[in-house]
Order: sequence, then C-alpha cells, then structure tokens
Amino acid sequence: MSPSLDYDRTLLDKPFPSGPFTVTREGVLAFCRAVGERDPLYTDEEYARRQGRPSLLAPPMYLTLFIRHLDRPAVLKTPVNRRLHAGMAVEPLRPVYVGDTLTATTRLKEVYTKTGRTGAMAFLVWETTFTNQRGEEVARVRDTFMARPEGEADAPL
Amino acid sequence: MRPFNGIQVGDALGPVEHVFTTEAVRAFCRVWGQEGEVNRFTSPEAAQREGLPGPIVPGIMTAAVLARFLTEWADGGGLRLLDLIFRQPIPHHLPVRLVGTVTDTREEGGQGLVEVDVFIQGPEGERMVTGRAILALPGA
Repeated sequence: MSPSLDYDRTLLDKPFPSGPFTVTREGVLAFCRAVGERDPLYTDEEYARRQGRPSLLAPPMYLTLFIRHLDRPAVLKTPVNRRLHAGMAVEPLRPVYVGDTLTATTRLKEVYTKTGRTGAMAFLVWETTFTNQRGEEVARVRDTFMARPEGEADAPL
Repeated sequence: MRPFNGIQVGDALGPVEHVFTTEAVRAFCRVWGQEGEVNRFTSPEAAQREGLPGPIVPGIMTAAVLARFLTEWADGGGLRLLDLIFRQPIPHHLPVRLVGTVTDTREEGGQGLVEVDVFIQGPEGERMVTGRAILALPGA
C-alpha cells in the first residue's frame, strides 16, 4: 500500500512563470566543451551562418540548464532529506539560438508515492514549456523528482 | 547525413565508451550555475552526507551526452524527443557505454522518424540510465 502523502494540492496545474533566460555564446560553448559536443553548428559561428543560421545553435539539451533556476514552490509538507532527479523527457520543438531570450512556464502535474526496498519515496512531476522572445514555443520538458522523507526509511510521507 | 532508407529496426547505435570525469562534471556544473556550490555532484563530503559513496554525475549531464551520442549517429538529423529514467547514480570516472537500438521507423511530413531505445550501461552491463528517443532525418 502506498504511504499517505501530505502536499499542497492547490499547486497542481498552476502555472509558475520564470525567466527571462538569455542564451549566451559563452554558455553554449562551455556547455559543448563539458559534454564533448563537436557539431560545428553549436561551436563555430561562421559555419552556422554559412548554413543559413542566424547565429550559433544551442544543443537540444542546453535549455535543461535553466530547470534548476525555475521558480517552483515547495510542494511537500513533510520534511525530506534527499532529492534526486528521477527522470526527464525533453521535446525540442524549434531551434534555439545564441541571443534568444527564453521564458518558462512550469506546472506541477502529478504527485505520487512508491515504497521500494529502501522505504517510502515521493515523486513530483513537473511540466515546463520554454518560449522564445517571438512567443514561439521552443521546447517542452517533463521532469520527475524523487524525494525521501526525513527519519526512518519507511516513515510516512 | 545518415540516409533514412538505410535504417532498419534492430540496428545498433554504439556502443560508445564514455567516462564522466570529475573535471567534466565540474565544468558542467559551472555552466549550470553551481560555481562554488558544495553539492553531491562535486563534493565527496556532500555526496556522503546524502548516503552516496562519492560524487555523482548530474542527470541532465547524462541527458546531454546521450543527446550528443544520438545526434552524432543521426549525422545531421534532429532530436525530436529524449525521454530518460535515471535509474542509478553514476559515479565520476566509471567507464560506461552509450548504447542504442532502433525500435521503429516511420515517415511523417516528408521526414523519416527513427525511434530508438537508448541506455547508459555500467561495467557489468547494468542499465544506469534508460530511455527512448525519436530522431528526425530528412529525405524519407
């Protein structure tokens, strides 16, 4: 049986806006270096322009860097001592370029519990849409975060 | 550009060997806006306080590396979806393999869509990150 879960149900599906987030040349190049990205569309501005792009293209996962900077309220009323990123689905919809300014709207979609070998866990599912300065939706991201309650492994959430 | 018509269900992507080094994770965390933060991604002590044996790789960094793996395979094709489950924390310096298998191909709007099951495997073949992806290739 799933443990009971105390959380703020009024937050479900409520939009929380965040941003703006500016896509910078330095950020894209540093991201590419960190993950070993070599595609010149992301790393060589002249090449990108020769390919008809307005500037350097941001790799499709680049905007996930902004997830941790989203304004999200505390959901669980039960204290937790460990949070992990349990999953992520990214759906790129349009190219994102250096110089773009993105805004995000995030919504809490689901909260549920599971009891595993190590005790009770709460799962929070957030959906976020990113929009560029022209009002075009550029990506959707669905994040699942897992949280463990403080205290005993099988404490109720 | 990888030709869509040459792709068949069951085709393998990789394996490609990969190691997430401490240096790379630190570089990633700097871009992520965590410069100077003490956390489970960069600090052995912070990781141990959370019950982890040592610092781990951020999930979004594994996603970024898998996205690169997929788009390099597609050789100019675009990523339409990457849907991942982070099943086990990946410690720094663990030799892992990036692996994929084509599970479906179809045509849509003049593009070839290729669906792929994708994994990060640990040294014992354990699947530390699992998921699926959809890649779009022109010229279907």
